[in-house]
Amino acid sequence: MSESVTERLSPKRSRLDPEFAPPFPEAALPILRDPQVRKNVAHATDVIQAKRGKLVIEKTDWRQLREAASAIRSHALENLGAYLEEFELRCTAAGGIVHWASDAGEARQIILELLRQENASSVIKIKTMTSAEIQLNSHLQAAGVEVFETDLAEIILQLGDEEPSHIVVPALHMNRSQVREIFSRRMGLEGLSDDPEALTAAARNYLRDKFLKIPTAIGGANFLIAESGSVVVVESEGNGRMCLTVPRTLITLAGIEKVLPRFRDLEVMLQVLARSATGERMNPYTSMWTGIKPDDGPQHFHVVLLDNGRSSILARKTERQTLKCIRCAACMNTCPVYRQTGGHAYGSVYPGPIGAILTPQLERMKHAQSLPFASSLCGACYEVCPVKINIPEVLIELRAQVVDGERHNLKRLLDPIYLGMKVASFVFQKAWRFRMAQLLGRKALRFFTRRDGWIHSLPSLGAKWTQTRDLRGFPDQTFRGWWAAERGSRNGRV
Amino acid sequence: MVGSDQHRRDVLSRIRSATHGCTQELSQINSAYDALPRAYFRQSHLSNEMLCERMLERLREYDAKVVECAPTELPAAIAGQLLVSGKRTFVAPPGVPLEWMGSEFTWKVDNQLTTEEIEQADGALTGAFCGIADSGTIVLHHSETEGRRLISLLPDWHFCVLYASQLVEMLPEYFGRCNVPPGLATFISGPSATADIEMTRIKGVHGPRFLVVVLVRDV
Amino acid sequence: MRASLFITCYNDTLFPETGRAVVKLLERLGIELDFRTEQTCCGQMHANTGFRGEAFSLAKRFIQLYGQTELVVIPSSSCVAMIRDQYPGLIEELGSDSLRREFAALLPRIYELSEFLIDQLNLEDVNAYFPHRVTYHASCHGVRSLHLGDRPYRLLSRVRGLTLLTLPNVDRCCGFGGTFSVKNADVSSAMLAAKLQDVVSTDAEYCTALDNSCLMHLGGAMHRQYQGMKVIHLAEILASTDSSLKGGRG
Repeated sequence: MSESVTERLSPKRSRLDPEFAPPFPEAALPILRDPQVRKNVAHATDVIQAKRGKLVIEKTDWRQLREAASAIRSHALENLGAYLEEFELRCTAAGGIVHWASDAGEARQIILELLRQENASSVIKIKTMTSAEIQLNSHLQAAGVEVFETDLAEIILQLGDEEPSHIVVPALHMNRSQVREIFSRRMGLEGLSDDPEALTAAARNYLRDKFLKIPTAIGGANFLIAESGSVVVVESEGNGRMCLTVPRTLITLAGIEKVLPRFRDLEVMLQVLARSATGERMNPYTSMWTGIKPDDGPQHFHVVLLDNGRSSILARKTERQTLKCIRCAACMNTCPVYRQTGGHAYGSVYPGPIGAILTPQLERMKHAQSLPFASSLCGACYEVCPVKINIPEVLIELRAQVVDGERHNLKRLLDPIYLGMKVASFVFQKAWRFRMAQLLGRKALRFFTRRDGWIHSLPSLGAKWTQTRDLRGFPDQTFRGWWAAERGSRNGRV
Repeated sequence: MVGSDQHRRDVLSRIRSATHGCTQELSQINSAYDALPRAYFRQSHLSNEMLCERMLERLREYDAKVVECAPTELPAAIAGQLLVSGKRTFVAPPGVPLEWMGSEFTWKVDNQLTTEEIEQADGALTGAFCGIADSGTIVLHHSETEGRRLISLLPDWHFCVLYASQLVEMLPEYFGRCNVPPGLATFISGPSATADIEMTRIKGVHGPRFLVVVLVRDV
Repeated sequence: MRASLFITCYNDTLFPETGRAVVKLLERLGIELDFRTEQTCCGQMHANTGFRGEAFSLAKRFIQLYGQTELVVIPSSSCVAMIRDQYPGLIEELGSDSLRREFAALLPRIYELSEFLIDQLNLEDVNAYFPHRVTYHASCHGVRSLHLGDRPYRLLSRVRGLTLLTLPNVDRCCGFGGTFSVKNADVSSAMLAAKLQDVVSTDAEYCTALDNSCLMHLGGAMHRQYQGMKVIHLAEILASTDSSLKGGRG
């Protein structure tokens, strides 16, 4: 299968493709109108947050763990080249084969070639956000490879033709009856109840056969250990262990930022990851393996290291911290914006606060430019981030980049925000201009001010405010006007 | 070779220039690594008695079945649990002591068993490397006594023998017990679970649905 | 003790009553207040909307205006957060060495109102009287940037006649977020609705906070949808000594 053949059978376009997704305000609107989704999102995030909260209080060295986690990740990124090379050396010595991919296309090409060498007509997959990032499934399918997701949430999404809305609990926007409908239709199970136990049992049966028969698996990595050349996968269901152990060939796709210096660094990362992601002291299964072990597990093992824009993020001082992320999703669980919109509004496989900074950067700031603005900068995400990514700081930095990128675009002269900012900046340079603007503003708004002293409706940008809120009319006297009148000439004029 | 050397050079050169081309000496990197802040708890002050209690408590929270026994009672304790399970056919790794494998049951010792044979067994009996009491985690390094990974994965029951002397309180202490990184490690903290449907925790998706731990009080 | 009041652009224009209350309160406590009439804006709105160059020039202006002041009091935690969190980066990137030095000297002299009362004046009881049921909304910048902690509560607990009602989800964002409130008006309104539900559930007469930005947002919705409550800046509660003073808006 050459790349030209796969391109001709053009893969189905994902709704979470940042290149084509509508801007955040537009994408959010239908979801804001969907009370069911918002209820599901609020319920799910409340559950995880409550569990996390209890465990954070219980873990009296939480602050120190966070400090260490942040420091380890920063150090790994500072020395990324050296640690990746060490990982490659050790992994290769243990029988693994390491490949490097500059971008999504290269990664897909490498994987397709490996599958061709295997004569693989189907693969079993462990959930990996990185594979969704490179749109792997649709390209594999277009090339004639059948893909079987094995995470329960991923099966739900795959069979239901849905898109993930959360990094850790991808189907949290759905409820049991929606899942029952999908399973009964796609697995041909009439009379299937909507009890989560029954649904889970249905998934177990559906997959058992595939685990035992399909000889090729594709998965991701939570961590790569440089010191030993090992890969670590953190999971709950056991499908990871199945895919990592039973097949003949395993392909691991991992972003270059996943590397940790040493094995013992897991003592910090695993403690913060489980508590942050699922509110547990430890997730049910964590697997670590190194290359190949004769007679135990896959005898062919490949790692595909993916750049796809990460090296650009690495190069930038404020933005580099984005790469510290360990994909725990605590940020979106606490985000008051995500709570209202769910994940699909972000138009990316990475939603929520981390998505708002990661996605535009992976797109080299060419797409997803509305995402850095999809935040009220409340800082709750930074508070819970186990590796202390100052997400608000990065959001503000990216906003400046978007605005600077637009400064030569004539269209900005039609943007009321742009005009407002430029006028305000001009006005604020001199107190007399400010006083003038206050006077003019008061006079202009008088037209819109009702007898009770409040404004109920404004034009243009103001309409965005007044669609749900009133605005009190400008008071007749500003504070400085009062001060000048009360305190007289000592401090200037009206 | 899939994915040429050129890709590798490109990625690494971008990384190098992003981190200001510091081809730092390994010793410099190691010094920076050693200086990283690690003020979190790394040492327990609990007695072994308290560790056992904590471990048992956590295991029970996971709905794992746990029994304790003295070292001399071990074979009987194992047999007792196998009997209670109502199952007959078990796999065991080649390094498991013979006295663990009671004659009332059918044993398949893993000398190159096929996947089908393992799949058809009712349960597996293994040892372990370490138990972490704080999270109720059992760590397998897949040695001769613990068996290759398939053994403790496919059958529906996992019977695990854990010694009190193998217990630590917290995760950093487990790492303290590893002189070198193990090639293989599986951390088991309860039976498999999912919360993907309405956040309702359902146990036993794949992987053994029943975990039985025999804690040997050898301290 | 002398202090200089930075009223903030939006308080000056839209909520002069808060400024008047700050003056009344601080002078009652024996502070000699100064008001530099050249003041305009700290630049937060520009910085947060991505207009970094413009924000820097306002930051520079602010620093140069207050360079020689004893202490600066600001009745707005978001503006103080701007100065503490973002001025350093802006100056580092765009400022001169001398500006950096000026800023370093000025920074420790900047106080948000509740910080000024508790940390600088060592006061919790300011002789206030406000016999009403009040709930307190913890603005995000106050909680997470300024780490105000229990300062507002300590001040409120000493106001005579005041019944403080706990707000559920007290530190969840109200959804204002500056230009976010219009750039993402629908999401902002959804967050506002959730917040309003919590506020209304307290059955308080007043909702107070340290930032009029949040209160403008909440108060605007209250006025539109729910007439049973008003918003009022904490300064106005603390300034109140007269039982007949109604105060508040919305």
